[in-house]
Amino acid sequence: MAKPKPPFFSLPQLLLILAVVSLFLSRLHVVADSHFEGFEADDEEDLDSLPTESLPLRSPPLTFSQPEPDPVPDPVPSDPVPEELQVPDSDPPKHPSSTTFEYWDEDEFEGLPIELPSPETTTTTTTTSKSADEDVKPSDPSSDSKASPETKKAGTSPRSSSYMVEIACGSFLIIFVINYFTGKRENENIALSWAAKFAANDSIFDKNFSLLGVGDGDDSPLLLKEGQNVFKFYASGRRYCQGLLATMELKSRHDLISRVYNMVVPCKDEISFEVYMNDEAMDHVVFAVAKKKAAKVMQKEVRDLQRFASVLSPPSGRKWVSEELAVISESKEVAGDLISEAVLDQVFGEKAFEKFRKGFISMHFSDEHLGTHKKMLLFKFALPDVNNMADMTRLVSLIPYYIDLVGRYKLSAQARSKTDAARAKAAQEAYKELQNARQDALQRKKAERRRLLEEAEARLSAEAIRKKEAKERSRQMKKGMPKVKMTRAH
Amino acid sequence: MSSHGNASAANDPRQPSTANPYVPPQISPQDLPVDYSGFIAILFGLFGVMFRYKLCSWLAIIFCAQSIANMKNYENDLKQVSMAMICLEFTLHVIVQLVKLA
Repeated sequence: MAKPKPPFFSLPQLLLILAVVSLFLSRLHVVADSHFEGFEADDEEDLDSLPTESLPLRSPPLTFSQPEPDPVPDPVPSDPVPEELQVPDSDPPKHPSSTTFEYWDEDEFEGLPIELPSPETTTTTTTTSKSADEDVKPSDPSSDSKASPETKKAGTSPRSSSYMVEIACGSFLIIFVINYFTGKRENENIALSWAAKFAANDSIFDKNFSLLGVGDGDDSPLLLKEGQNVFKFYASGRRYCQGLLATMELKSRHDLISRVYNMVVPCKDEISFEVYMNDEAMDHVVFAVAKKKAAKVMQKEVRDLQRFASVLSPPSGRKWVSEELAVISESKEVAGDLISEAVLDQVFGEKAFEKFRKGFISMHFSDEHLGTHKKMLLFKFALPDVNNMADMTRLVSLIPYYIDLVGRYKLSAQARSKTDAARAKAAQEAYKELQNARQDALQRKKAERRRLLEEAEARLSAEAIRKKEAKERSRQMKKGMPKVKMTRAH
Repeated sequence: MSSHGNASAANDPRQPSTANPYVPPQISPQDLPVDYSGFIAILFGLFGVMFRYKLCSWLAIIFCAQSIANMKNYENDLKQVSMAMICLEFTLHVIVQLVKLA
């Protein structure tokens, strides 16, 4: 009984059940003890509050003499006559002789009440039984009282531990809320400082785009806050392109859990630009620049790069991008034309790139993007600190530069024929896929129609069977009818 | 950046006539990013309700808070918010009950 208790108590949630159960168990424990020792002294108490299980064992003592003969004959068949006064006299000697009192609770029990009226002979047994009685009697309340403090102790210790949970979780929630507001402000500061640097008056975007900001009108907000860590900036009204959308994805500073996670897995504040090019302004260009590892991944995973382009090895006899970078392109011609001297000088050259290693993530131009806008230039940069926004000025100025470069760029006839072929092939594949999908859809429809028809037929045939049966019945009726008529006619 | 600015210095690249206002992309409810923390919150909430396990309910509340904190503007439709609220209600209920019992 004692063994299962510790684990129970250790679970604070089961507190109440536990308390009830332990009370129960302690009661049963006492009951069992008294039962084994075979005393009915507990009766008065037990009868009030005992569980039903123990009642049958006690029931004999309630009806004093009549049940006695039943147990008595078993060990000693000598007292068949139920004279109540005689029985006790003869009984007591048997008990010491038998001494296996585990079985003979009831016998001893018989002896007791009767011993009271005749206290002469049965000294030994009664004294022992009495002393045992007394032992048990005090032990009962004591055990009860012991049990109750135990449960009380058990009640208090889980209570404090349960408050520990509340304290921990509550304080975590409070820290979470505080962090939410401070992190939110941090992110807003970063986004605003970026906008102040690059989208204010006389800044790069102001000089290049006629419409800045996400709303209509002049005093529209520059930034659109999409979440606590996502900000958008929109610009439009420039040659060669329909618009530019910059999306800043900052660290989740507002979220304590991801903040802790980012301590283990660090991440950067990123900004990505999508430039939607005019359809007529962009020739067949599939081109990307990224750091070597990232470039391999992009080549495998980005669909248009995978389909049209491959990683180029640096050409000999020409200044080329930094060794850390890899160029993915459809043809060497495109790559050579898009990586101009100026760009190498300013950003991608071996020397210049030292400064921008942290800031540059990738660049991806394609006329075969998926989605609504096919012709897009994508730039992905990492944002510097709030106070060092000027560090990425050159990277940002790559954007208008490449818009103009790509907008003016025309492929040579030779390269153009190749890219045309590749696109025709891709288009054919896409068309085939589409056709397949359409055919699949058609077949599915047909199958469904057939199924419907079959169902209808089945219903019809069932009806036909019913009709046939009805006809048969009516025919038989007709066969029967004339006889009836005949009889009636008679 | 003078080399970069050559083209733009020569003539203004801006074309106000072609400016299009920003049109937020239409996102169908199916394409919303998965709200993992909300999902976890609901799982914990259910566990808390079923097994009367207080810590689960607290975790559910914390993840619920995370889910609300990470909510995007465009997801502000009633559905998700109500989910979070149901979750919160569940867990608060359980916690209050358990505290009462203790």
